[in-house]
Amino acid sequence: MIPIEYWLVFSSLLFSIGAYGVLTRRNAIVVLMCIEIMLNSANINLVMFSSYHSVLHVGVDPSGQVFTLFSIAIAAAEVAVGLAILLSVYRRYQTIEVDKINILRW
Amino acid sequence: MLEYAWLIPVFPFAAFILISILPKRTLSWEDGAGYAIGGALGAFALSMLVIWDVIAGNTMVGDGPKFEWLVIGDISVVFGIWIDELTAIMLVVVSVVGTLVVFYSGGYMHGEGERRRRYYAEITLFISVMYGLVISDSYLQMFIFWELVGLCSYLLIGFWYEKPSAASAAKRAFIVTRVGDIMFMAGIIILFKYVGSLDFATLFDGGAGAAVPTDMMVLATALIFGGAIGKSAQFPLHEWLPDAMEGPTTVSALIHAATMVKAGVYLTARSYPLLVQAPESLMLVAVIGGVTALIAATVALVATDIKRVLAYSTISQLGYMTLALGAGGYLVVYAGSGAGYSAALLHLMNHAFFKALLFLCAGSVIHAVGTNDMRFMGGLGKKMRITSLTMLFGAIAISGIPPFSGFWSKDEVLAAVYSAGEFDSLFFLLWAMGIATAFMTAFYMFRMWFMTFAGDPRSDYQAHESPRLMTVPLIILAALAFSSGFALFIGDGFGMFAEHSIGSLFHGAHHGSAMDLLAGIFGDPLTYVSLVLAAAGILVAYAVYGKPGFDRSVFAKGVGGALQRALENRWYISKFYDDFAVKVVYGLSLVADAFDRYVIDGMVNGFAFLGTKSGEILRRAQSGNVQRYASLIVVGLCLLLIFMLYIVPWGGW
Repeated sequence: MIPIEYWLVFSSLLFSIGAYGVLTRRNAIVVLMCIEIMLNSANINLVMFSSYHSVLHVGVDPSGQVFTLFSIAIAAAEVAVGLAILLSVYRRYQTIEVDKINILRW
Repeated sequence: MLEYAWLIPVFPFAAFILISILPKRTLSWEDGAGYAIGGALGAFALSMLVIWDVIAGNTMVGDGPKFEWLVIGDISVVFGIWIDELTAIMLVVVSVVGTLVVFYSGGYMHGEGERRRRYYAEITLFISVMYGLVISDSYLQMFIFWELVGLCSYLLIGFWYEKPSAASAAKRAFIVTRVGDIMFMAGIIILFKYVGSLDFATLFDGGAGAAVPTDMMVLATALIFGGAIGKSAQFPLHEWLPDAMEGPTTVSALIHAATMVKAGVYLTARSYPLLVQAPESLMLVAVIGGVTALIAATVALVATDIKRVLAYSTISQLGYMTLALGAGGYLVVYAGSGAGYSAALLHLMNHAFFKALLFLCAGSVIHAVGTNDMRFMGGLGKKMRITSLTMLFGAIAISGIPPFSGFWSKDEVLAAVYSAGEFDSLFFLLWAMGIATAFMTAFYMFRMWFMTFAGDPRSDYQAHESPRLMTVPLIILAALAFSSGFALFIGDGFGMFAEHSIGSLFHGAHHGSAMDLLAGIFGDPLTYVSLVLAAAGILVAYAVYGKPGFDRSVFAKGVGGALQRALENRWYISKFYDDFAVKVVYGLSLVADAFDRYVIDGMVNGFAFLGTKSGEILRRAQSGNVQRYASLIVVGLCLLLIFMLYIVPWGGW
């Protein structure tokens, strides 16, 4: 079995990549994709802890993996809403560059 | 009957409410004069019943109906009524003069149009609170009404508030009397501190003297008398009263001659049980009274405004009453006699009648001629027979010619002051001042009468006798000015009656019959001194002002001229106050203004500036850039993580 540290390092890297993308990219669609990457790193953690839990304790407990399925479903819904917002933002401002859309301020 | 005395102020107060709130068309005759007369008459009738009861020997001191106004801890403030002989004398004055003045106003205020409603509302309010002041049974209750009469006085002096002089006179009267009121309040606070109650019943039963240290008693009584100095226009707070003549003449007659200014004398008389425990305060009372009488009389010698002559005369006569009260206190303490006290009260009553008469006559003259200045009058005697005759009655009465009322009371006052000289020779000096005042009083009164009614007209005026609504009160008051002095001889005599209210303070007062009294008055050589001086005053006035051909330019030269100018400038007292107000108070105000502007406002504005500036800096954080927010969140989270993981375990928390 792959040691747990490997998984943790992998998901941390994935999360950091996502966070970096969210903070630096201008294009809102890329930002949205990066958010998905961060979400998936959390999903990987969930699946990983679930399988280790099953190994360490006798019997199978799939609840962690089931929650991952929920999480993926919700992520899909979130992307749908996010893209819809981006679409209407584009219609309004002819751009989806996040640092141009800054009217919500002093 | 006495337990219904609290209803007396209710009648005029009801009139005040009705005149204030009723629709205009229901006010009918003279814009509310009917309601005012109704209220005044109701109070008059009830007052007469109460007075009758008091004359029959009933009083209500400390056992009348009460109601609890408020309770603070274990102190309860109770309102009640206090009816004794002193109250009765004041009730006579307020009810008679108040009612007659309201009648007279019906004619005098005829030309005032819309403003009459305000006038009648204010004058009924004044009559109401004046009754309230008179029947109060505690210093606190009295103080409340004391302030209310001051308010009404302010409102009525400023009745023609469009005139700058009237507006400033009203302010002046209010502020100057307020100085006295503060002293009054300080005095009753001292009493309250030691005794724990302000009810007359508690303070006067002898227990107060034991509770209050002697020096504090002197201070408290002197401060309470300070209230009287303000209200009764005594030196050095007397300069507001001549200015108060800016109000309508009816107001001057009622408030500034007959009733409100008597409140100070009334307060002093009411405080007798306390004053006799502090002879130092009594001496202060006497000296202030004597000085006031003399100073005011001298200024009245040269005043040319008919109402100002009367105003200074009022101050002077109030000084007489105060002097008599001071001397009377000495007589009570050392001689066991109430002569000074009763003399002051008799003079109070007589003066109320003849001075109200003089003011109302002056009002009648002003009504006819249209000016206050006597230099533009003259020769009115032929056109205004009733006014000139009634005013002559008033002038004779105040000059002290027998058998008019002023003679009896003035003689009693001077006799009391002279006999107090036995115990402190300062009273002889005060007596001499009183005698000098008597001479000047006769002189300036007849100067005024001759300048107004005798000789030839000195300007074009279309004078005519006033309507009957005004002359009838004049005739009634003239009859009273003639006869009110005879109260001295009615029944047991006025002295006996008045002394009942301070009967517990001394024992063994002896009063003879009316014949003994008469013999005492006319057997005393001092009586003839004042009589001769009064007659001399009248003759000099006739020689200078009544008889044509006297060259008055002698008054403008040399020492006489300097004196004349000093008098015309009211001994520069008024000027001193004005300068004081302008230089010292204005300077202080500038400092206070600067403090307010720079320190207090500076602090307030500084905090506001701080808030704005920090807001301006902080709002840069709200860039609207989502990614910056997100990166701040990440940085914050990282810092929190580092804190939780390393700092917290390291710190040992």
